[in-house]
Amino acid sequence: MDVLSAELTKLKGSLAWTVVVLLPLVMVGAGIFTTVVSGEQLQDGWDTLWMRSVVFYGLLPYPLAVGVLAALVWRPEHRGGNWNALMTLPVPPARIVAAKTAVVALLCTAMQAVMLLAVVATGTALGLDGMLPGRYVVALAVVALASLPLAALQSALAMLMRSFAGPVAVALVAAAVSIVLLAAGIAPAVWVLPHVLAARATQLGTGTFLDAGQVDVASVAPLLGATVLLAVLVLTASAQVLGRRDVHV
Amino acid sequence: MSVLAPTLRNETAKLRRLHVVPTVLALGAGLVLLTLFTVATSGQDSPTWALPLAGFSFAAPLVCPLLVAVVASRVVDVEHQGNGWLLGQALGRTPGSLCRAKLVTTGTLVTGAVIGAAGAVVVLGTLLGVTGPMPFGAWVGTTTCAVAVSLVLLALHVLLSAVIDNQLVCLGVGVVGTVLAVFSSGLPGWVAHATPWGYYGLGAAADYVDGKLTMLTPSYPSVAVLSVVAAVLFAAVTARFDRQEA
Repeated sequence: MDVLSAELTKLKGSLAWTVVVLLPLVMVGAGIFTTVVSGEQLQDGWDTLWMRSVVFYGLLPYPLAVGVLAALVWRPEHRGGNWNALMTLPVPPARIVAAKTAVVALLCTAMQAVMLLAVVATGTALGLDGMLPGRYVVALAVVALASLPLAALQSALAMLMRSFAGPVAVALVAAAVSIVLLAAGIAPAVWVLPHVLAARATQLGTGTFLDAGQVDVASVAPLLGATVLLAVLVLTASAQVLGRRDVHV
Repeated sequence: MSVLAPTLRNETAKLRRLHVVPTVLALGAGLVLLTLFTVATSGQDSPTWALPLAGFSFAAPLVCPLLVAVVASRVVDVEHQGNGWLLGQALGRTPGSLCRAKLVTTGTLVTGAVIGAAGAVVVLGTLLGVTGPMPFGAWVGTTTCAVAVSLVLLALHVLLSAVIDNQLVCLGVGVVGTVLAVFSSGLPGWVAHATPWGYYGLGAAADYVDGKLTMLTPSYPSVAVLSVVAAVLFAAVTARFDRQEA
């Protein structure tokens, strides 16, 4: 059976889907709850709803969720004798790394879809005029793509660490560093750290943290360029590391 | 013969192998860096001590909940992986006593990290040019509250990790708790009282009220009640663990 097909089969009934569905719902719910309790209105309609739901989601909970998803995807390999079975597979390390990363990236894409549906459903239920502006749909598509290097890096960390919590702790530290770098206005950081790239992509169209408020070629092209570069670097390095790993005695 | 001292020694030895110390150091470093970042980016030429206090109150709910969950998950997951509960019981160390020992050892580290971070902020804040008399009482009060809430969450996560084999639940609760902690700080008091994570906001000694930086009095009674209730519940649950077979 193809490695990717095997990984996709493992997703059936996986707890990963709980994370994919629950996190966006919690973030949208928290944003609305704070709005209602504080007595404030959604002054700019869909724009304010988007800001309250997505801005904080992209800075901290999202990278943490990707860390959790990657740890979940690699968890079976660290149990019992599965790591040794993996080491003896007649499959190149690059294909294993690519398959694992593809699964995590697929889950990240699904999470953006859930976020989109949650925001649209909430805005409709609140009676907001019109519909969610198209630029935010484009922004989420960019987030899904820009999450590929993050998925690859967290997947690599989960591959190297047997502990479930270790990669999540690294994701938290990296997310905190991302917040500091974005707040300090260090734009080139998106070309260096995947966590900064993903966080920056989530701010598209919001006018916060280096964002000009537009979703156009000028704002999207650098992110896609950084996505390709970082994804190639991380995947290549991960495959090299896995190729040099040995069985657990 | 008492197994308390050997149990504590054993749990302390496990901390090193599980790399818990670097995680706790990251907790302390995160608190310091995020606090000083808010001071450095405030744009104020002569910031007062209200600013780092507000920064500390901003950093604690962001950093502590998840790293506390990670620490608890690390020290408990090893028992699930290596059948440590059964081995411990064979040695006379009941699951409840193991949980209590884990809370003592990791709690000592977390307490040290939070207090150390607060001390580092005071020293570095002085070097960064924070002016005015240092409000010692406010620093002690907000640090004590942050330590208390962190220990309550640590106890909660130790129990969660012990009961549920899959550490996704413990860490997932940590992620959701971080969201609750961050959102609770700007909401009415009853919302903050609704969950343990909201008590970080109740322990704040300074914050922005209507856009103006204002000194606050932490809700000491609320944090004290939370601590007592958590201690009683932890003792009761671990006593129940003592009567269960591993």
